[in-house]
Amino acid sequence: MAEAAAPQPAAKAVSCPNCGGTVTLRAAGYSVTVACEYCASILDVSQPEVQLVTRYNERATRLAIPLGTRGTLDGTEWEVVGWMARDDSGYAWQEFLLFNPYHGYRWLIEQRGGWSLGEQLTRTPEGAWGGLKVDGERYTPFFADGTARVTDVVGEFYWRVKRGDSVRTDDWVRPGAMLSREADDHEVSWSRSRYLSTPAVAGAFGVPAHTKAWPPLPHQPSPALPFVKAGIVIALLAVAALILGAVVMGGGRTLWQGSVTIASDGRDQQAIVGPIELTRPWQRVRVVADVPALSNGWVDLGYTLVDRKNQASFTASKAAERYSGRDSDGDWTEGDRSATADFATLPAGTYDLVVDYKGNNWIDPSRPPSNFWDLNANEPAPDWRRSGAFAPQIDLRVVSRGGAGGGVFFLMLVLLLIPLGIGLLIHAHFESARRAESDFAAQGDDD
Amino acid sequence: MRTPIFLYGLWCLGIVGLFMVASNYAWSPFADGRAGPRGTGGGGVIFVGGPNHK
Repeated sequence: MAEAAAPQPAAKAVSCPNCGGTVTLRAAGYSVTVACEYCASILDVSQPEVQLVTRYNERATRLAIPLGTRGTLDGTEWEVVGWMARDDSGYAWQEFLLFNPYHGYRWLIEQRGGWSLGEQLTRTPEGAWGGLKVDGERYTPFFADGTARVTDVVGEFYWRVKRGDSVRTDDWVRPGAMLSREADDHEVSWSRSRYLSTPAVAGAFGVPAHTKAWPPLPHQPSPALPFVKAGIVIALLAVAALILGAVVMGGGRTLWQGSVTIASDGRDQQAIVGPIELTRPWQRVRVVADVPALSNGWVDLGYTLVDRKNQASFTASKAAERYSGRDSDGDWTEGDRSATADFATLPAGTYDLVVDYKGNNWIDPSRPPSNFWDLNANEPAPDWRRSGAFAPQIDLRVVSRGGAGGGVFFLMLVLLLIPLGIGLLIHAHFESARRAESDFAAQGDDD
Repeated sequence: MRTPIFLYGLWCLGIVGLFMVASNYAWSPFADGRAGPRGTGGGGVIFVGGPNHK
């Protein structure tokens, strides 16, 4: 490969021995063969007398980037001097040979609308754990034992090339780069190609800018990965802020605790408990009612917190219910002897808690009569309100709580993670499609 | 890709800000209590009991 010290070659025109067309040699002195852009015959230009290597009478292929086009990639101006199409068992791509007299040759490789810039390596990659290493970058296997065949060729090249030439290929990838090994009976060559964004190539050589390679190229970086990586860091910071806020603003204390008695006749009852002092500017209040004696029945609970100063009220209704029985599956229970009512955004003040409650008994309609021998014995059904030695009670506990609570915390957590989850799904979909083409699909290759 | 990251950062900032405001006002959409009319309100009996078990 020509490097920086090489002199700039002069363009030279030769006449095609097959069709008589004028063929311009853009890298005269470096090129060994040139394919006539009119009839696609391969000419040997390594000697002063141009020789016809292979005669073709087909019309030259219309190229996405015409020969002679100049474009700048990464600050270096390149001229397209050759083009060839290659194929490996239906897996097709095209390669444009770029030339710069100070930087030598590069390959602009196009496949499915995606682009890469390749360069020949002058050193052999080192073996690495499960792959290869070049310049400290690790590559993992992607394709193995392929055969790349030249299906079409136009322009000039620094080696003798013609249609039908084939080499054995193996490829390794890392995100953004591919390492390729090509071998024939005479030599082994290594090249590395780096993925280029389509807009960059479009800006340099005028190809369509809005093409999307799909499935992705083997070495194409996931477009969602930078978002996912940065998003995880941002999300962790945000979650830490949420936890800190919950800890600082949370916490609580018991404001009132006591019991009220449930009447055995199931009448509506009312109890007023307090005073309940709410000292924070705003707070949540939880009222916990526990009815230890409850069995096959329920207790209706209506709460009203009334501010003594302005009679502002806040209401909630709950029920503690507990049932049990036996059916074909065995014993069953349902419900809970406790009921919890939460109030939010309560302003500071002195409150009374008005508790309206009523104990109810439930009679299982499928329950057989207790007196099997006399169905008319009219024995009373079991009633939890009367079954104990003492009247059943509701144990009440009123607790103040700061912050927005666990429900809001988890709601915010979900909202935080939704965009990140979408990014992860896009990344997983991309990687799945990218790896699907690999001969090592089960192993994966992501760093 | 920088724009989505920036927007996600803004999104997270907004969520954390909302949480702080909600925490400051002890706001919760999951609360059972509702503001009632002024004066002593009655809870009332709204529950009709009975198990849902088969």
